[in-house]
Amino acid sequence: MSGVEIEGVSRCFGSVVAVDNIDFKVEPGEFVALLGPSGCGKTTTLRMVAGLERNSRGRISIGGRVVSDAAAGYFMAPDRRQLGMVFQSYAIWPHMTVFDNVAYPLRIRRRPKDEIRERVLRALKLVEMQPYAERAAPALSGGQQQRVAIARAVVFEPEVLLLDEPLSNLDTRLRAQMGDEFRALQRRLGITSLYVTHDQEEAMSLSDRVVVMQEGRILQVGAPEDIYQRPRSEAVAAFFGSPNLLEGEVARCRSDGNGGFFLRVTGASWEGECRAGEAFAEGEPVIILVRPENVHVAEAGGGGNSATNGAIAWTGQVVQLAFRGARVSLSVETPAQRLMVESPALLGVREGDRLTLSVAPHGAWAIRPGARPRESFPP
Amino acid sequence: MTVAAERSPARFKPGARGGAREVLGGRNIGGHAGVLALIAILAFLTVYPVSMLLYGSLHSTPPGTAGQFNLHGYRAIFTAENFTVLSNTVVISLAKTIPSLLTAILLAWIVARTDTPARRLLEVLITLPFFIPPLLTAMAWGMLGNPQVGALNLLWKWLTGSDTAVINVYSWGGVVWHMMQYSTPFLFLLIVDAFRAMDPSLEESSRMCGASRWQTFRKITLALMLPAITSSFLLSFIRGIESFESPLFFGTPAGITVFTTELYNAINHRADPDYQYATALSFAVLGVMLLLVAWQWRALHGRSFHTVTGKGYTPDVTRLGPWRWVTFAFCMLFFVVAVALPVGQLLLGSFFRFFGFYTWDMLTLENYTKVFQNGELRRAVWNTFELGLLGSTATMVLGGIVAYVTVRTEWRGRRLIDVLAWLPWMTPGMVLGIGFLWAFAMLPGFVPIYGTIWALMLAYIALGTPVAVRVMSAAYQRLSTDLEECSRVHGASWWQTLWRIMIALAWPSFAVGWILTFFSIMRELSASVLLFSAGSEVLSVVLLKMWMNGEAEQVSVVGLMTMLLVIFFRWLQLRVIGARISTL
Ligand SMILES: Nc1ncnc2c1ncn2[C@@H]1O[C@H](COP(=O)(O)OP(=O)(O)O)[C@@H](O)[C@H]1O
Ligand SMILES: [Mg+2]
Repeated sequence: MSGVEIEGVSRCFGSVVAVDNIDFKVEPGEFVALLGPSGCGKTTTLRMVAGLERNSRGRISIGGRVVSDAAAGYFMAPDRRQLGMVFQSYAIWPHMTVFDNVAYPLRIRRRPKDEIRERVLRALKLVEMQPYAERAAPALSGGQQQRVAIARAVVFEPEVLLLDEPLSNLDTRLRAQMGDEFRALQRRLGITSLYVTHDQEEAMSLSDRVVVMQEGRILQVGAPEDIYQRPRSEAVAAFFGSPNLLEGEVARCRSDGNGGFFLRVTGASWEGECRAGEAFAEGEPVIILVRPENVHVAEAGGGGNSATNGAIAWTGQVVQLAFRGARVSLSVETPAQRLMVESPALLGVREGDRLTLSVAPHGAWAIRPGARPRESFPP
Repeated sequence: MTVAAERSPARFKPGARGGAREVLGGRNIGGHAGVLALIAILAFLTVYPVSMLLYGSLHSTPPGTAGQFNLHGYRAIFTAENFTVLSNTVVISLAKTIPSLLTAILLAWIVARTDTPARRLLEVLITLPFFIPPLLTAMAWGMLGNPQVGALNLLWKWLTGSDTAVINVYSWGGVVWHMMQYSTPFLFLLIVDAFRAMDPSLEESSRMCGASRWQTFRKITLALMLPAITSSFLLSFIRGIESFESPLFFGTPAGITVFTTELYNAINHRADPDYQYATALSFAVLGVMLLLVAWQWRALHGRSFHTVTGKGYTPDVTRLGPWRWVTFAFCMLFFVVAVALPVGQLLLGSFFRFFGFYTWDMLTLENYTKVFQNGELRRAVWNTFELGLLGSTATMVLGGIVAYVTVRTEWRGRRLIDVLAWLPWMTPGMVLGIGFLWAFAMLPGFVPIYGTIWALMLAYIALGTPVAVRVMSAAYQRLSTDLEECSRVHGASWWQTLWRIMIALAWPSFAVGWILTFFSIMRELSASVLLFSAGSEVLSVVLLKMWMNGEAEQVSVVGLMTMLLVIFFRWLQLRVIGARISTL
């Protein structure tokens, strides 16, 4: 099993910089998702790893072996990189049967006939497509094509598996199911995977680590939970859901003894504690991220003991309400700003109600305004 | 191989942004050599004959003889007669294009968008004339519509008892009528796919907005098809100008001259061929064609062809009720007029000693035995087959490579290759023929092409390349680049991918293109008639000669056999290859 290392890689198309000096590493056996809005350079990055696109700058290694080095003018052709890849369109060859499609990488490698047969059937079994082996490829549904594409990509046990939005052409339910199946398969085979997606939920639920990209740069690399709860920049925070971002000022900063920090912050008509990943100076402006589901809702004047446990609290009126089954989404107008809140549907909040909203210190996260992602992320 | 390893597969349309330039850089020697070789081949096939045309038009004597450079040729063009020739050419081409276009639109609508019975069969029947050499139908109509002994006139006289003929094909009407028979199926083939590829929701939403069926047809369906119709119109008009058989057969006897027949006369029918005049006229025609094509490009905003996406829509079909039998009858009428009548005439003529004298005592099988004993004819058939098999294979291979380079790579020089391969498109066969005549004569003595079968071969390849490139690039465009890239990533080299994926997927288009090219070689007359020489005759030239010698009955026999071949290949294309691929 081998990892992938990307060092200072860029790709320019004429004057367009599609990928701008990115670094990251995929450890052997790890599942890493490249996440970002459409057009941010994810596919280009994946294609550079595959060797379908040549990097303008930087170096790419697979399994400790350099496969492309722009400075040295070295470039290894895609067919020599020993990769498996699942394309967004699946790229199932329409003139072949399912069996022939999956057997292709082995036939190209001139394996003996019975080995091919055995390995193809094993791969098809993995994706539960054995009964379709002799089916013509065009006669498959989207989900089946996707399974065949995965079987083809893993049949010769490649060093690394590359996937470009493999689920985006499926409907919502199938997407969730295939995602789970694929994750289980990847764990079972322990295959190093680099997975491109623009869907945050997909990225978070499937991967060990997420690389968040924007406009060709990496904003942050980290475990899904880190990225979601402890983003290093507004951009990363804003990428997931519709978070509340409040402007405030640091009143006090103390270490939690664990590498993190507690901040005391004051804003327009509110005050309280939050957590931070780095030290702030007193009086420094700060942005507080409050996820809608972390806001606690009570009737106005109910539990106003915020001062005692350090929670931040606001009072305001519900101006909009959307029922979503398990929860309701509220939009609450407070003196500070309008806040988005997700609250259990059972609470029975109505439009026009006056509420007290509070967030405990571990539910609020401080971000340095306009923080440049580059300076702060770990190597 | 280095080309393979270093090639960056183009993900974007060629020319979108110069991405792969840096990939290829200056290091790719294999790629550059390939491009240069391709440019050299194409330049020899297109630029070289055209420049020889220019040379010939400025030089007072044929190549190889002493002479001087002057403008006599161009001065000789500007005569009152030539003004008539020009207006004849334009008027005839317009007169055939407009009714053909209307008929083709109607037929395409019937076949694609109504519930007329047996539409699949009708489509096959309607397109059949496109594959019949115009030379044959011209001869057949010569026998059908001859004012003295034409079968139709005889029938009319017998039915009405009058002695005046109703039809005279040797007239303006005859020229236009004959051209219409093959330009209608040509236009039909261009338009029918546009009718089919229409997204039905576009029309449905118009109906939902309160427009009637007819309003929708006018404002949405036709409007959406306007680009396809405009380009087809211009294409057909240009083809009309290049047409040779119809004016030769029906115009010349009536004293109507168009520019192709004028060129033919200048070289073949004067005691002393006026080569300088002919080349100057050719070059001028080339200039006119260039203007026309430029106009076509402007009208289409640079898209020279309206390509239809292969989306699998099932368009809304109009229920015609009892009227569907009327539309059915209309399609059948077209088939009868364009195919059944001429073929029936060939059949009839082949069994009589003299056509026009259809009595029992004139019945004979002599024509068949004569045809089989005719040595010159046998040689011509053999030559034609050899040229057809080799020529269409070579043309399609060249077209396949050119299309691959222009569609799938970002090699520098691919634009030039595209333009060079497309150049013969606007060069009438006769003009290219004259150009090649000069080109081969100017070659050094150790390249003995002049007067051999290879002269014809090269001309056919040049003339066929534009269509071959279109067919193959349409085929490649339908194949997503992912299919190739996926193969590369999974371990296949560039050559393995080419063989196992591209060729494996594109061969039906190749085969269809091959058949089309084979047919166009078989029916080619205007360049052949200039480039053949004793020993390298081809079928069309020999048939013309036999016709001129008054052997119409034997010509009928050959025509029938050609028809069998046409039907066999059409069957092969529709059944075996299975892919119904648009011709252009
Ligand atoms: N071959 C190419 N030529 C020119 N521009 C390209 C090419 N490939 C990608 N780009 C540009 O690079 C940027 C990133 O594209 P891509 O990697 O496909 O984004 P993503 O996969 O994240 O949606 C886009 O702006 C795109 O237009
Ligand atoms: Mg993408």
